[in-house]
Amino acid sequence: MSGIQEDDDLVFHKITSLLEPLNEKGVKLTRDTDIIADLEIDSVSLLDVVMDIEDNYDISIPVNTISEIKTIGELVDAIHAIKKEQS
Amino acid sequence: MSLFEKFEKNAALYDHLSAIGKNPFTVVMEEVLGPTRARIKGRETVLAGTHNYLGQTFEASAIQAAKDALDHDGTGTTGSRVANGTFAGHKKLEEDLAAYLGMKHCLVFSTGYAANLGAIAGLVDRVQDAVLIDADCHACIYDGCQLSGAETIRFRHNDPENLDKRLSRLDPKYKGKLVCIEGMYSMYGDIAPVKEFVEVAHKHDAFLLVDEAHSFGVYGETGKGVSEAEGVMDQVDFYTGTFSKALASIGGFVASNHPEAEYLRISSNPYRFTASPSPATIASASAALANIKAHPEIRAKLWENAKRLHAAFTQFGLRLAAEPAPVISVLLPTREDAFEAWSFLLEHGVYVNMAIPPGTPGKESLLRLAVSSAHTSDDIDRLVSAYGALAEAFPSARIDTDA
Repeated sequence: MSGIQEDDDLVFHKITSLLEPLNEKGVKLTRDTDIIADLEIDSVSLLDVVMDIEDNYDISIPVNTISEIKTIGELVDAIHAIKKEQS
Repeated sequence: MSLFEKFEKNAALYDHLSAIGKNPFTVVMEEVLGPTRARIKGRETVLAGTHNYLGQTFEASAIQAAKDALDHDGTGTTGSRVANGTFAGHKKLEEDLAAYLGMKHCLVFSTGYAANLGAIAGLVDRVQDAVLIDADCHACIYDGCQLSGAETIRFRHNDPENLDKRLSRLDPKYKGKLVCIEGMYSMYGDIAPVKEFVEVAHKHDAFLLVDEAHSFGVYGETGKGVSEAEGVMDQVDFYTGTFSKALASIGGFVASNHPEAEYLRISSNPYRFTASPSPATIASASAALANIKAHPEIRAKLWENAKRLHAAFTQFGLRLAAEPAPVISVLLPTREDAFEAWSFLLEHGVYVNMAIPPGTPGKESLLRLAVSSAHTSDDIDRLVSAYGALAEAFPSARIDTDA
């Protein structure tokens, strides 16, 4: 996890705080956590979490992008890319 | 075996439910006894999960029209709308629907699912357009977006302000924007603020598609749907619907005042690469349309039944998803509760639909009752009595119990 910028950390923490209530098995959340497979949440729950993230950062993450995301790290990266694009 | 691995999780549940004889997904209507009755597992059952809102499945004029069409035009069209599959009946139904809705154009598809799929995928370009959809939209709208390949953005359910925000921050590179909502949402039976959505969409030069599959024939002064009830029929860009609910047939349609909608016929694969509806299904839909237009009292009866059931369920303290509507859903905290409660109702001679996440809008499961104008007083009494017993047996279905 070294070398991650401070902004990355903030986005990571935001995501994990939103995922934690769905983390029924108490999996340790890292950048490599596979959101659907490791947390055993369904695809629609993920879309709803993403909606909270979108409103938090005032961005829109297309459904097509979300369906390609597997891990928390990929979600962090996608949010950064979109923040840059939409700001 | 990797191809089948994805089934494992659901397969275990599916097999378990079948093994204990409580699988809601394998119900067989052994014999249909009328618009609201069938024999299921050998027992005469009240049908309250069939979306036969206006009870037209046994309408005599529709049955006669279907028989006549069979005699005159044969069993099937054996072709797509753009080839040999457009008969006089298809054109007449398009004209009748357009006239009823006050729209200039109407295209008949083979199912309601295909209508939404075809409207979205046909209208939206993969590269230069974007689609914005209500988060609770039906699977066919999601699938239409996927088929289009275009940028797809969800906005919060029934939240025009959220749509406004998302349209504001949309990349200006998108030339065309299509917003998709439904009139009545079928899971909770809640309705959309269509007027506000029209305003927001048009403010941003976006087109608005309203899927009135469940609200056509049911809402509005003359049954044209939630768009009519909201007074914005003439401002809806694309109005989609189905023949399989209020009209008790099968097929779907897209209506519009935009003359360009006609070109969907040559650009929409779900329109041009599938066989058209059979002459009999078209004829019965036409006859049912004429019948519901001529008899507004059918719709009044539906609402009377819906209000009676909603009031009774409220009195039982059941946790209901929305205001009185032709769909009345009882929320249950877990899917295990939902399976048990669904079986309980079936054992009490009542068939409803059951839905579990992710097929439901929230985290809860639900039992979905679809009211029919054809429900008799006796049917309603049986429904009330079965739901009363349900409220007793399942505290988790009541609001006075912390789930």
